[in-house]
Amino acid sequence: MAIVVGVDIGSLATKTVVLGPGKEILAYDILRSGHNYQQASQESINNALSSAGFKREDVSYILSTGYGRGVATLSSLADAEVTEITCHAKGAERLFSDVRTIIDIGGQDSKVIGIDEKGDVTNFVMNDKCAAGTGRFLEVMASALSVDIGGMGDLIMSSSGKVDVSSMCTVFAESEVISLFAKGHKKADIAAGIADSIARRITGLVGQVGLKEKVTMSGGVAKNRGVVHAIEERIGTSLVVSEEPQIVGALGAAIIAANRTKDL
Amino acid sequence: MEGTTYKVNRLKTTNEIRPLVDKHWADLRTAKERGELVAWASGPTFIFAYAMGMKCHFMAGYASYCGGIGAGEEVLKVAEMAGDLPESCSYHRLHMGMAEAVKRDIEINPQALLPLPDLMVAGRLCTEMSYYAEGLYRRMGVPVLPIEFPMIFEKEDIPRLREFMYRQFTEIVIPEFERVCGKPFDYDRMSEILSVLKKVATLRNECWEFFKDIPARWTLWDYGVSIAPVFYLMGNPKGITYYEKLLKELQERRENNIPAIAPDGENYRLYWDSWLPWAFLGKFMRKFTPHGAVCLCGRYPWEFFPHPELIDPEHPVETWTDLYFGQQSHLCYNFSPKGAIDSIGELIEEYSLDGMVMFSSKTCRLWNVSQMEVLDALEKKYGIPGVVIEGDMIDSAMISDSQIETRLEALFELIDSRRT
Repeated sequence: MAIVVGVDIGSLATKTVVLGPGKEILAYDILRSGHNYQQASQESINNALSSAGFKREDVSYILSTGYGRGVATLSSLADAEVTEITCHAKGAERLFSDVRTIIDIGGQDSKVIGIDEKGDVTNFVMNDKCAAGTGRFLEVMASALSVDIGGMGDLIMSSSGKVDVSSMCTVFAESEVISLFAKGHKKADIAAGIADSIARRITGLVGQVGLKEKVTMSGGVAKNRGVVHAIEERIGTSLVVSEEPQIVGALGAAIIAANRTKDL
Repeated sequence: MEGTTYKVNRLKTTNEIRPLVDKHWADLRTAKERGELVAWASGPTFIFAYAMGMKCHFMAGYASYCGGIGAGEEVLKVAEMAGDLPESCSYHRLHMGMAEAVKRDIEINPQALLPLPDLMVAGRLCTEMSYYAEGLYRRMGVPVLPIEFPMIFEKEDIPRLREFMYRQFTEIVIPEFERVCGKPFDYDRMSEILSVLKKVATLRNECWEFFKDIPARWTLWDYGVSIAPVFYLMGNPKGITYYEKLLKELQERRENNIPAIAPDGENYRLYWDSWLPWAFLGKFMRKFTPHGAVCLCGRYPWEFFPHPELIDPEHPVETWTDLYFGQQSHLCYNFSPKGAIDSIGELIEEYSLDGMVMFSSKTCRLWNVSQMEVLDALEKKYGIPGVVIEGDMIDSAMISDSQIETRLEALFELIDSRRT
């Protein structure tokens, strides 16, 4: 039985999706990338295959994506690599066929991708090289607020009146949070301000690509319903978010792998 | 094509530019020892210094030279230590760093050192250029002659802006050079310089035709290293010899069907917008070549006297004015965004391009404001995709390799998806 694997090696998390012969999702895995991307990708692939009940020799094609994609091809772990922009497009189209705009907020960058009905990219923009509006930004802010990253969403949603966090720079925003605490603002309101600062940044990128509905959000930050809500408010439309938004890139990689296998 | 190993077929002639460039900068470095006067210039004003027999250095020219000798980073660090803001114009910081090194006797690559000028002609294309000139005056005591290069937005504005520019040249610039040099302005020498420039630019234009070949015979990076004869080596007859040799080599390549990119030519033909990343020409080339991608044209590299037929050595000052504020010739970022859409659109057709790369300098925003709008309009009109990449001309702190590589690879994937 021909199965294929897509592995998305991101700066914070490595995600793997295993597809069966009918391109059905057999299993997936998510783990922290750590400092050794090769080890993380091997481990994630092994975990996902084990969950699906398969071994490496059962796999006909592995396609890597994400910032660490080159590590997987250089080490011959993956057969080929494709950028996360193309992979997110394919993955999102598979999950929501009527989606035309993807907002992806990953650990290291944020991007907005326009796609057509076939899941092909029409255009895209990414944040510049600073960390503002990324998963890393949210992690640093969670630390400044002394809350668990997983608890940020509920905290944001409990806000009764967000305060303005104006700094785009991660370091400056961190010190701004401390000064907002000193002024007596509530933790939830500061968290809501942080979510809104990300939403403002994303709205700018959406404007550059051109908003076309429906809009989906992928990446780990899409699990944070506070940030999702803040973006919805800013762009003026609701976002569709899959059950596991973190694997959209890996899913797209696996779909491309399956298509290539068909051509072999 | 996947599986193909692409590499650049190096031109032999481009090896001959380095001695010419090195001599120019060596002459400039040692000018004071010979009792010669020295000018610095920003904006296209150096021809007036050359006409008066002064040694002169030009802002972007020095940036490209520093990049070429690998001195950019250390000179920028001197500026930063002297208090210059790390996110201000990197050209500005580069010059302030060098001037600080001279003034305070800070050890840097000796090839990067230049004598402080007897006159700085500050042709203002942007506000940072004023800041740069003001810094030289305030911190180093350099005499500064500020002149304006106003932006043109509408063709109907050209006559009055041309008149303004002509009067700046004739009523301010030329008299000041006469005062500094203590002799009448040498119009004959300016005519000679323009005569040489006309010949060099005509030959260079013949070379540009080889970018249109499919496969292309040379790359924008090759042109980047060949730009000095139409730039700060202006008036040097050796520039004619250089471009004659280059033209001959390109003709031989065409006759023998030798492409710029081995083994069989390029896979992606691209447009490059904005400044060239002077210090990183090789580094950027290596981001394109493994994919079989080649940049073939750009508005800025194309700005250096693309209409030699307009050069009239008999009327040197009028010609110089018309080259920048004429009906047919002007600085390439004028008329943006509409002008950009028109001129890039022409290049897309003439050079059979597959995609566009918009280089967005982090420390010079002159080009960046309308890049997304321009990309969008061109993509809709011509159906070819584009991407914005961020970086800098000389400051490596402003460059994220992985982000640039991801964007470029995504562009190549976009081109591929539209081909199938």
